[in-house]
Amino acid sequence: MDFLTNKWIAYLALCLFFTGVCCNSVENKIYIKLNYTMPCVRLLNATHQIGCQSSLSGDVGVLHVLESEENLDWVLHTGLHPPYMVILESPLFTRSIMMKLKNGSSRVAGVAVVAPSVNPPQGFSPHTSCPNENSGVYSENYGPGLAHCNTTVWNPLGNGLSYEEFDFPIFSLKDDNDTQLIRQCYVDHNRPVNGSDPQYPLCAMQLFSHMSAVTNTATCMRRNSISFSISPEGVCDPLSDLNIWAPAKPLNTTEKGHKVGESVVLATARLDSRSFFSDIGPGAESAASGIVTLLAAAHALRNATQEAQLDRTIFYTFFHGETFDYIGSSRIVYDMEKNQFPIDLDNVHSVLEIGQVGLHSSSALWLHTDPVSRRNSSTDEEVKNLIHNLQAAAAGLNVSVEEPGVTQPLPPSSFQRFLRARPFPGVVIEDHNSSFTNKYYQSMFDNTDNLNMLYPPNLTPEEQLNHVTDAAKSLAEVATMVARALFVQAGGEASQTSSIKADELMVSRMLYSFLVSSNNSWLQDFATAETVSHLSNKTANFYISVEQQISLPTFLVQSLLVNLTGSTVNVTQEDCRNQRENKDDKDSKHLYSYTWVQGAAPPNSTEREGFCVRSTVRWSKAISPAFELNDYTSSNYSTWTESRWKEIKGRIFLVASHDLEMLTLGVGIGVLLTSLLLTYIISSKADMLFSSGREPTTATY
Amino acid sequence: MSYTLTLKTRSLCEFTMNLERLPNEEKLSLCRKYYLGGFALLPFLWLVNVVWFFKEAFVKPPFTEQTQIKTYVKRSGMGLLFWVTVLTTWITIYQHFRAQWGELGDNLSFTIPLGTP
Repeated sequence: MDFLTNKWIAYLALCLFFTGVCCNSVENKIYIKLNYTMPCVRLLNATHQIGCQSSLSGDVGVLHVLESEENLDWVLHTGLHPPYMVILESPLFTRSIMMKLKNGSSRVAGVAVVAPSVNPPQGFSPHTSCPNENSGVYSENYGPGLAHCNTTVWNPLGNGLSYEEFDFPIFSLKDDNDTQLIRQCYVDHNRPVNGSDPQYPLCAMQLFSHMSAVTNTATCMRRNSISFSISPEGVCDPLSDLNIWAPAKPLNTTEKGHKVGESVVLATARLDSRSFFSDIGPGAESAASGIVTLLAAAHALRNATQEAQLDRTIFYTFFHGETFDYIGSSRIVYDMEKNQFPIDLDNVHSVLEIGQVGLHSSSALWLHTDPVSRRNSSTDEEVKNLIHNLQAAAAGLNVSVEEPGVTQPLPPSSFQRFLRARPFPGVVIEDHNSSFTNKYYQSMFDNTDNLNMLYPPNLTPEEQLNHVTDAAKSLAEVATMVARALFVQAGGEASQTSSIKADELMVSRMLYSFLVSSNNSWLQDFATAETVSHLSNKTANFYISVEQQISLPTFLVQSLLVNLTGSTVNVTQEDCRNQRENKDDKDSKHLYSYTWVQGAAPPNSTEREGFCVRSTVRWSKAISPAFELNDYTSSNYSTWTESRWKEIKGRIFLVASHDLEMLTLGVGIGVLLTSLLLTYIISSKADMLFSSGREPTTATY
Repeated sequence: MSYTLTLKTRSLCEFTMNLERLPNEEKLSLCRKYYLGGFALLPFLWLVNVVWFFKEAFVKPPFTEQTQIKTYVKRSGMGLLFWVTVLTTWITIYQHFRAQWGELGDNLSFTIPLGTP
């Protein structure tokens, strides 16, 4: 008995094993999985949903490689095998084609965009032509003539594709083996030859990007909190990350609210960018140029601010999520108003924001100011003073600064959120007079090529890291100017500024780290163990993403700022982790933050020698106040959320004709019915058929 | 061994009520129980009652308890019809307007399929 059961179990296991193996290999024989799939995902705000989604079981369509805009007719009208999965070469990834596909979406199963290796020369920006139109300072109540980009359209190339809603999946594919395979599959099976229609089997593609959230933020946040369902499951998350900030002089950060006698000069940059696809956000010009400039300026000012006793404190701030209706800056302003920040708005003396400054080599830098607040003479006086400081700083350098026309409003900038609170004096430095110089604003093409970061051919990664590019040289000039102007603005002597100078090599290395590869020897030496685990060999993605994920640029900025503004202290690793200089030290943690950096390995060792860095670098949450207030239909604050999803993948395979599929199904059902009928007949005639006259066997069961 | 097994099955069948073998009084009391049970918001009992006793009530040659069984079956049928109408109407309205109702619609739902308005 036992032996029998064992045998049966063994047989069963063997059968299951074979079924498992054979199914696996059948799946592999049918499908070819795509390795590099970058989806466009769904985002939601107070009123809308944007982005793309597939059905729950993935959208399937017959492949069609679009060759020209005229070729669309095949997809939308004449083709015999809809729905189609359209493969777009990136020059065809335009608004007009995408909108035609969107309107004919019953015949479109999805779109895959092949990212090119060269940027389109005519420019491309999927952002709107008036970024953050409704969340800036200009409105019906504040400079009504300047609202909605009435006077200056900042991003004239912006086609708004990123803010459209598509009810089919859109993926980005890298131009590599996979794409080659797709093209080959199309040529072999789907291309109409000599005007005759292609025959089955046809090459098809299936894309999965089903999004859980729908309609708007209020709906999805409500569904997040419905608790009586069997399996409570979140559907969306607020866009959120960290703001990184550091005062040049230690401030007690435990005590929140107004600091008596403190006056700060805010030096800010934005930490994020985006593109049509959520996994790609190179943001070279739109984010990295400003970040690197401010970091280099902070480094240049490290010694000067420690030696000279300045009247005012320079406050370096990096705002995250500015692309999505100023998440970071609106949060800090909100915190300052609610006394939840180490300083409040009364402590802020002036604001100097560094915007897009990477493309100034062809022309001057422009100092943008707010014409509305400058109508007040005292504010105007302070603004003029700040402009004067910048001009004086630029005088000795290879940069020229100019002012745009007095009636021009501020470009999209974090400073606008401060102006919404009250009129501060402030300047936004940009490399454009009116509309952006950046032809690829918040697109996947805003990369090293856009910044003209050119390396001589045949350099190893290590040589590239240490090569000073022209782009870095010109950014270092800007950083020097910013640093000197900040020094004077904070009350320093103009005569002492000549020693303040940004390091070109460091600027070049920072650009390399952000835009080429963060996993380099330079960064590894002064990153924390946690940061090291996030370093990658790819371009950093500047998309803010959701609460659970801290974006790589945040880690990089934090690590860099710690090391560029902090100083090494002789503290044990344990004390460093516990934010103290020795066992009895209870006060330092209010003023400083201590970071254990993994350090470099000595020449004849593989063990890294870590050390402790004392700095004033802190972070605070960059999540929109709307989520703090549970006001998901807010018109004041950003309400952007990102939908959750279960599976993002793509695969290609051959499909048989509908008739053949139906035939197979029919035969299958036929076989089933016949076998049922046979069984019935046999069992009803069992007496006749099996009348062998034998006694029933005494079974053991 | 197999012989005893058959015997057992047979007795089990009898136990789980073959309506054919039940005396008429018991049929009536069973039908009555199902009819009354249906009032406890259990329309399925009425459905079972109708299906189960339909033959007894309308097809079988007359017997003493048949008139009463008939009444119970008819009433169960009516109740069932009422429930079916009410539920169909409500489900149609709910499915059609859930998305428009917004918050109310979500609160009325036990599970909301992901990615639907």
